[in-house]
Amino acid sequence: MDVPRTVTTALEDRPIEGAVCLEAGAGVGNATAGLLASGAARVYAVTDDRTHAETVLERIRTDRDAVDQNRNRDGERIERRLAVLEADLRAIPLPDDAVEVITAHGLFNVVPPADLDAIAGELTRVAAPGCHLLVDDYEPPPDDAAVRDLFALENAAAQFADGTPMVTFYPAEVLGRLFAGYGWTVDRHRTLLDPVPWTASHLEAHTEVVRSRVDALPADSELGAALLERADTLVEVIGSESTGEMYSLALRRPE
Amino acid sequence: METRDLGPTGHESTVATFGAIALNWLEQEGANQMVELVLDRGVNHFDVAPTYGDAELKLGPKLRQHREEIYLGCKTQERDYDGARRKLERSLDRLGVDHIDLYQVHGLEYEEELEEITGNDGALAAFRDAKEEGLIGDIGLTSHGNPQLILDAMDRIDDLATVMFPLNPVVAAKDDDDHDYEAVLGRADEEGIGTLGIKAFAKGSWPSTEELPETDRPYANWYEPVDTPDEIRERFDFAASQGLSTVVTPGDPKLVAMVLDAATRYDGMAESEQRSLVEEARHDDSPVPEQLHH
Repeated sequence: MDVPRTVTTALEDRPIEGAVCLEAGAGVGNATAGLLASGAARVYAVTDDRTHAETVLERIRTDRDAVDQNRNRDGERIERRLAVLEADLRAIPLPDDAVEVITAHGLFNVVPPADLDAIAGELTRVAAPGCHLLVDDYEPPPDDAAVRDLFALENAAAQFADGTPMVTFYPAEVLGRLFAGYGWTVDRHRTLLDPVPWTASHLEAHTEVVRSRVDALPADSELGAALLERADTLVEVIGSESTGEMYSLALRRPE
Repeated sequence: METRDLGPTGHESTVATFGAIALNWLEQEGANQMVELVLDRGVNHFDVAPTYGDAELKLGPKLRQHREEIYLGCKTQERDYDGARRKLERSLDRLGVDHIDLYQVHGLEYEEELEEITGNDGALAAFRDAKEEGLIGDIGLTSHGNPQLILDAMDRIDDLATVMFPLNPVVAAKDDDDHDYEAVLGRADEEGIGTLGIKAFAKGSWPSTEELPETDRPYANWYEPVDTPDEIRERFDFAASQGLSTVVTPGDPKLVAMVLDAATRYDGMAESEQRSLVEEARHDDSPVPEQLHH
């Protein structure tokens, strides 16, 4: 798999070479792949989702094989530089002051407001003095964005099933202030995507979340069926949409 | 329309180059009108080839009428000296001109071809003799193939003035060596070689012929193109923003006017918007370099 340009653009002005890094919320490992490709000495990819953990490992193995075929780098070393940790970001299994670069690439939009504080506290705890933190996320979509309706449905389904929203779009300024409260200072703010392409496969993935949450409701839930039907209709009507902004906020912990 | 240096040719090419293969699909009268339209929009660089059906013949009348306004690129798929010489003379004859400004090795795909064209009896020797005789101006190379091969060609051909290669968000999104045309662009910039971008408007490969017979394809392009004014403009702006000298218009005449409109209005593209296009195309299948056989 390729490293998205959003990742390479966010990393390009950070000192990754030789650094001990943490990808907070590894997802499919986009930032992990970017950190390894940028020469990180070690990357801890933390996720609480076992499927994601397996995906990250598989991806890096595939990349390693490709590297081996090219015979221009030592593929085995790449795997040795990675540790995938299946853990909750509210209790990161790393010691204090352990990492020099942290990436939260597309993480916070899936963090409920109630968990923000605990995660910011943990990221600060494991950050070494002078640590760099990258927060790459989405500004709230504009009022006239059709995808807002789909996110609203997704949140409604998640609230009914779990009591917490699935997605929350925090403005860069809000997350900047959150981390400022933990002693971080904002180094720079840049736009990664403008507009953000919400492709058909993205929308389908969000509909799948609705489906999974509806599945968790009682089988005869009329509300669940209505949510799902509405989500399917929305995806068909929207097709795809390019709207909103993805930003990259770089912060620094004092030396 | 904006113009840019075309490497060591000394020519200032418009940011759009007319891909004259589009003329192949038109009757002579329509071809004449299209050339007039292209010139009217300010385009000063045309590119044609003997393999584009009868495009050379259809370009001829208007080319001769406006010869001074047109920087003319042509090419050959012949790899040996005699073949290249014959094809050059045939193109001069079919076009009805006595000079081609840029003569290019057409569609380099294999290492063996590079061996042959750079050999003593290779096409490049014929190109150089023709240059001495004033039949051609500068020497270029085109390829939809492996970017590494194009880099090798740039290493081995000292008098290469231009390279033509694919560049669009679909290939830009892929990190592997097979799609690394950005490395070609970077090297060309370092060495001051002119760059022509093709396949800027490729959306993907056509569905299989079982799903969509060739005769039912709505466009003559060998790949499926983007085809709305907004998409065309985005793709043009993206390609032009990468730093190419010029972007070649697509092969289907129905798309040319939209591209000319985009080229006329081109005023750059923000990097965040370029990344948006790349991200949108990141999981798309690339129509290059796998499916290129012309």
